[in-house]
Parts: sequence; structure tokens; C-alpha cells
Amino acid sequence: MFEAGRFAMVRGRVLEPLMTLAVWGSALLVAGAFLWLVGDLLWHGAERLSWAFLSSSPLNAGRTGGIGPILVSTLLILGVAVAAAVPLGLATAVLLTEFLRPRSRFGRLVGLSLDVLAGVPSIVFGLFGNAFFSVFLGLGFSILSGGLTLACMVLPILIRTAEASLRAVPDDWRLGSAALGLSRTAALRHILLPAASSGLVAGLLLGVGRAMAETAALIFTSGYVDRMPSSLFDSGRALSVHIYDLSMNVAGGDGNAYASALVLIGLLILINGTALYLAEHWLNRRIIAP
Amino acid sequence: MPRLSLNRYLSALSVMLLVATTASIPQAAERKLVLTGSSTLAPLVAEIGKRFEQENPGVRVDVQSGGSSRGIADARSGLADIGLVSRALKPDEQDLKSFTIALDGITLIVHKDNPVQTLTDPQIVDIYTGKITRWRAVGGADRPITVVNKAEGRSTLELFLHHFQLKSGDITAHVVIGENQQGIKTVAGNTSAIGYVSIGTAEYEVSQGVPIKLLPMAGVDASVENVRNGRFPLARPLNLVTKAESEGLVRQFIDFSRSERVHDLVEAQYFVPLAH
Repeated sequence: MFEAGRFAMVRGRVLEPLMTLAVWGSALLVAGAFLWLVGDLLWHGAERLSWAFLSSSPLNAGRTGGIGPILVSTLLILGVAVAAAVPLGLATAVLLTEFLRPRSRFGRLVGLSLDVLAGVPSIVFGLFGNAFFSVFLGLGFSILSGGLTLACMVLPILIRTAEASLRAVPDDWRLGSAALGLSRTAALRHILLPAASSGLVAGLLLGVGRAMAETAALIFTSGYVDRMPSSLFDSGRALSVHIYDLSMNVAGGDGNAYASALVLIGLLILINGTALYLAEHWLNRRIIAP
Repeated sequence: MPRLSLNRYLSALSVMLLVATTASIPQAAERKLVLTGSSTLAPLVAEIGKRFEQENPGVRVDVQSGGSSRGIADARSGLADIGLVSRALKPDEQDLKSFTIALDGITLIVHKDNPVQTLTDPQIVDIYTGKITRWRAVGGADRPITVVNKAEGRSTLELFLHHFQLKSGDITAHVVIGENQQGIKTVAGNTSAIGYVSIGTAEYEVSQGVPIKLLPMAGVDASVENVRNGRFPLARPLNLVTKAESEGLVRQFIDFSRSERVHDLVEAQYFVPLAH
């Protein structure tokens, strides 16, 4: 008895701090990796950042000049992707959660194909997008081709997260709204979607994040042209393609590659922040005071 | 989705469609050249394209990257007006016409701290086929050799194999890379590595203090000058290729790309302009 008690005491004295150390250590390691990355980018790229860099055109294959047209193309591609993927993804998720019985055969088939799609490497989406949107539909190398390819790529993430967050809404709410005589559409619009909003936004952010970081799916669809796009049918180079080209293909392009990467990360943080703010202040309020 | 955001979404979509349709109308009147292919050539040709656009208002030059094999395929299928191919055409590609716009030399590079000053051709072959695996066998330190090779389908790989009479399957590589810069960065970060890259970019990186060393080939120093005068044994032409006899705008662009008016652009991308 005495031995066992002492062992427990020693274990408490040694193991507890060790666990604390491990937990804190892991968290610090993750944060440290991110800070190191951002620090490295700031160190190499911050001095080049300026309004002129953000607004002017690239010169000498991107070694000098800015990223104005590339920034515009990136945002347009992202806009097309979100505009196409969000309604499709939301509708599919609503079908899966609200209209199909759980474990229905069709539902499981859709779920399976989504999981397979989510695991497909992005270069495959790039080649598919090139064959389907650029060649078969005749959209050529264009922002539209690139955006639609990205939409296909982020759909699985979007649907899966939207589905999960809709399923997390308690069934009592559905029953309650039915008891109050709300139609299914009204219940969806006023109760279920607002209640699931933070999950929906999180899914959207995951999708946008993946889309912004995409290179392989875009080089064959939206292309390489670094001119300011004048329509969605123009080819436009995305930021990630620009960074890849500058660091891997253009001797002396590293400086501007760092600065462009900094802009990309800044843009991601900005989009994340905006989306989270919207989710908190705009969608949630609708439940409390519809 | 709440009503407000649905409306916003629809209006944003309609604005985008409106912009897309209205903005695309005037372009029908523009003349457009599409060029696709070699990622090595793409930055140079994009710069040539910009100057060509300035001198010929109403013309648009769209350059797409993707590799020499793609340049061949797109020129054949008509998807591109001109293909970009960073090597000479092969015997089974003689249905295409090629126009050289610049030269590019390829040489072997090692880390600056590697004491090896030169390698003979048989030594290079033995290193790349795995018969020599330690630097000591060729006069270096007692360290294993890290062989850096190019990925399948890269023109530099094909040129290298052809020059040393090797087959792709003979090579035992430890690192397989894609673009030029990746090769330079790999060797700069590994004192035991050996790789082969474009001479122009390697010379530039050395001048920037990147710790790499260019090895001479068959006794000829690896320099842009020796590529220009034809003495360096391992060089490749950078080509524009077309399917048929070129005419009109395509012809005009090819002539422009081969003229002295783009020499500064060729040199700015660390390639070797044609002698005129």
C-alpha cells in the first residue's frame, strides 16, 4: 500500500508537469512554425512592399515592378470560384441533411463521391479543367476556366463542412419550427442556416484558403498572362502561380517572390477576418432577433 | 441562405456577367496570338510579347507556360499559334517548323566548397549511372555524391541524355527536380550535390553570392561567352515552332523575336542572343 501510494505521488509530481510541458510545447511549436514563416517572409519581402508594388504591372519577367494585374486576376478567379461553389455546395448540403433520410443509398453515394473528390490531387483538377472548361467548353485560358476549376476543387470541402454544421443543429429546432407552421424553406432560411453559420463560414474559409494557395490547378486553366484582365474571358496569372514562377523559373526573382507571398498571406488573413466578423455580427443576430 | 445575401449574390453575379459580356465585345476586333510551351522560354517570350504589343497596337500576345512537350502538342493541334520548345526538334517532329530565337548552355554545377575542379565525360557518366558514388573517387572529399537529375519530359534532361549517350533508365538520381532555379537551390543547399542547369542563370546566381560552382565541360569553361562562340559542347537552341509555313502576324512575331531589337530582352533573361 505504502509503495503504491508513493508511486502515485511520484507519478503525479513527474507526469503532470511533463504533460503540461508537452501540451505547451506542441502549441508553441505550431505557433513558432507559423511565426518563423511569416518572419522569414517579412525579413526578405517587407522592404519591397508598397502601394506601387500592389498597383503596378510586373516588369522584366516579374523581377521588378509590381503585382497589380496579378492581384486583380487572383481576386476575380476567387470571386468566380466562390460564386459558383457556394450556392452549389450549400444546396447539396441542404439536400443531404434536410431532404434525404440519413443513411439513404443516394446520400451515401454522394458522400462517397465527395470523399473521393476531396482526395484527388490538384494537378488532376487542373488537367480536367483544361480539358473540360478550356477546350471542350471553349473558354480557353481564362479567369472563368480557372475559377470554375477551383470551384470543382473546393466543392467537396464546402459540402462536407456545411453538411456537418447543419447536422449539428439540434433536431428540436426543426421540430419546433414545424410545430410553429414554418415552411421548410422558411425554417432553413431563418433558423437552420443562421444557426449553422459559423460552421458554414469555417468551411468557406477552408475552401478559399485552398483556392488561394492553388498553383497546379490554375497554370493550365487561368494561365500565365500577367496583363491586367479586361474581362473574365482573359487569361490572368494568379498570385500563387506568380510566386512559383518567380522562385523556380526566374533567376533573380526571389525578392519579388517573397513580397508576393507576403501579400498572399496578408490577403488570406484579411479574408478570414472579414468572414469571421460577418459570421459573428450578421448571421448570428438573425436567430436572436429575426 | 438568408434573403439579403442571396440578393447580393445574384446582383454580384449579374454584374460580373455584365462586365464579362460587355468587356469581351471590343476584343473580337483585336488580333490575338497564343503561344504555349516551355517554362524556360515563357518569361522571355512574354517580355518579347509585351514589346511586340507596344509596337503593334491592337495586337495581343498571350503566353502560356507548361513545358516543351505541350508546346509541340499545342502547335500541332492548333490550340496555339506558336509553340515554345527549348530544344531542337526530334526526328518525329519534323512536321513542324522551328525558328531559333536564342541559345542556352547547360553545365554541371557543384557546391562552392566542393574541392573538385573538373570532371571528365566518363566520370560524369559514371556518377550519373551510379558507378561512382563517393566524391573521393574523383578527387574530392570522402562523402557520398547526391545526384540531382531533371524530371522526365524536361528538355534539359533530354539534352543531357543525348549528349552523354545515356538512356533515362540508366540514371540513378537521388533528387529529381523541375525548373532551373530549383536545381540551383538544391545544389546550393547541399555540399555533396551535383546537378546540371542553364549557364546564364548559374553565372547570375554566382554573381549574387549563391554558393555554387560551374564545372568546365570537356576542358571548355562554362560561360555565356563560350556558348555564344559555339565552343561550349552542351548547348541547346530555344525555338518557336509552328505547324505550317507561317504568315501574317505569326511570321511578323517570329521575325521580331529573331531580330536585334530583342537582344536586350534575351540577355535580361540570361540567355544567349543569336549572332547577327
